[in-house]
Amino acid sequence: MMRPTPLGRLRDTALPWLLPVVILLGWQAAVSAGLVSNRFMPAPLDVVRAGWEAGRTGELWTNLWVSTLRALSGFAVGGGIGFALGLANGLSRLSERLTDTSVQMVRNVPHLSLIPLVILWFGIGEEAKLFLVALGVFFPIYANTLHGIRSVDPALVEMGRVYGMSRTELFTRVVLPGALPSIFVGLRYALGIMWLTLIVAETISASSGLGYMAMQAREFMLVDVVVLAILIYAALGKLADALTRQLERACLAWNPAYRSA
Amino acid sequence: MLLDALRREAPAEPGPETRLADIPPAPAPARQPAQAASRGIAVTARDLRKSFDGHAVIEGLDLFLPAGGFTAVVGRSGCGKSTLLRLILGLEAPTGGRILLEGPESGPRRSDPPKRIMFQEPRLLPWARVVDNVTVGLSGHGSRAERRERALAALAEVGLSDKAGQWPATLSGGQRQRVALARALVGRPGLLALDEPLGALDALTRIGMQDLIERIWLAQGFTALLVTHDVSEAVALADRILVVEAGRIALDLRVDVPRPRRRGDPDLARLEGRILDHLLGAEPNL
Repeated sequence: MMRPTPLGRLRDTALPWLLPVVILLGWQAAVSAGLVSNRFMPAPLDVVRAGWEAGRTGELWTNLWVSTLRALSGFAVGGGIGFALGLANGLSRLSERLTDTSVQMVRNVPHLSLIPLVILWFGIGEEAKLFLVALGVFFPIYANTLHGIRSVDPALVEMGRVYGMSRTELFTRVVLPGALPSIFVGLRYALGIMWLTLIVAETISASSGLGYMAMQAREFMLVDVVVLAILIYAALGKLADALTRQLERACLAWNPAYRSA
Repeated sequence: MLLDALRREAPAEPGPETRLADIPPAPAPARQPAQAASRGIAVTARDLRKSFDGHAVIEGLDLFLPAGGFTAVVGRSGCGKSTLLRLILGLEAPTGGRILLEGPESGPRRSDPPKRIMFQEPRLLPWARVVDNVTVGLSGHGSRAERRERALAALAEVGLSDKAGQWPATLSGGQRQRVALARALVGRPGLLALDEPLGALDALTRIGMQDLIERIWLAQGFTALLVTHDVSEAVALADRILVVEAGRIALDLRVDVPRPRRRGDPDLARLEGRILDHLLGAEPNL
């Protein structure tokens, strides 16, 4: 294999960003030339200006903070329960027999269809958002944890047993590390669902947060703020994905498929 | 679910191991000039039976393996040789009969040396570095630093000191199997069962591994039980060969060839021919 030259490395880093930059430039050009009315589609520079304005008044940071807090607390609750139940059902047949069928039934209900019910139960307070996010995050974490534990190589478990590992050791040294790649798949799905659920919930019923900010802007025909909110969602999604990737690289360094180049 | 299965199978182990007074004392392993003082486990099986779903795999097998001996079990696939090994190791519970394992001079309740197995596949933990894979053989013994030190010593014994910090995925097949050997040896076993451990290796690596196993066995004096379908491997390593057929011992041969054995030795070749004739002649359908 050839050693990457500095120029080659720069090219590899820059290449994924080429397409977005070209689109942005084309977009700006189209709006500036009057091809697109900026009542429907603001120019990138207008969006930047809106972002600057919202950042200066502090409105952006408040909403971003509120949304992040909601997302993370919902994720912690739903993910925690999903992980615990996935472990329990992977390790104990009794627990699996008892709960798995019910979980699979509930899983097939689109959790966003519960929004009317949730509003009736909790109003538009924090609990409603927390509940929806937790519910959405629960299933991918649960299903992938369970699948990960089930697919641990039984030959390795037998080895651990012959070599006198205690049950705790067997779990921490064989079962959990073996399930980890699958658990990470669940984590990445869950992060996507986390943002999606939160934005929908905030758009429909909230008095703060990014979704609320976008809905307010629509009422006042502030297209640039609407687009700003959408771009922030994209950035947040990318950020969550990048963090998971880093975590995967650190935790799954043993696996050639995850080793950083 | 996995752990459920473990819980169910775990009690199978201590049962058949109770000491009996009426077992004859183990005769000293013969013809091992350079062998270290034996700390091997002697194995006795009496009228051993095992069937799976009513299908008998082992039928009334009697067996005595003296402490410190190197016994090879050969046979066609499906003859029950692997099942025999798994029964002796306590990985399966016998349907009938009993197995006795006797530690070396275990007078006032010394803890017996462990039994270890090397599988056909290395079965290394892919998420643990080589040295941490070896410490698996020391589960629950000593401090962390002590375990690491012993693991490094065991790796040196199999010639892999420089690989201690690597991931198993970066090793070759032969190196992985050597790590598995180090893992089996690090706990100073009294009985080492080898379940076709070299079956997946290429011919040259195999010969190297055979020499390594023989050298370590001579130095450490554990009881070795090798299950293989490679007759030449059996005659090269063992001082006794058992041919298993239809769940019984059909042939029990001593290998009176001094060590170190030269590959292609006419005595070994004659013995190998005799065993192969027996194995091939034993199949009426051929």
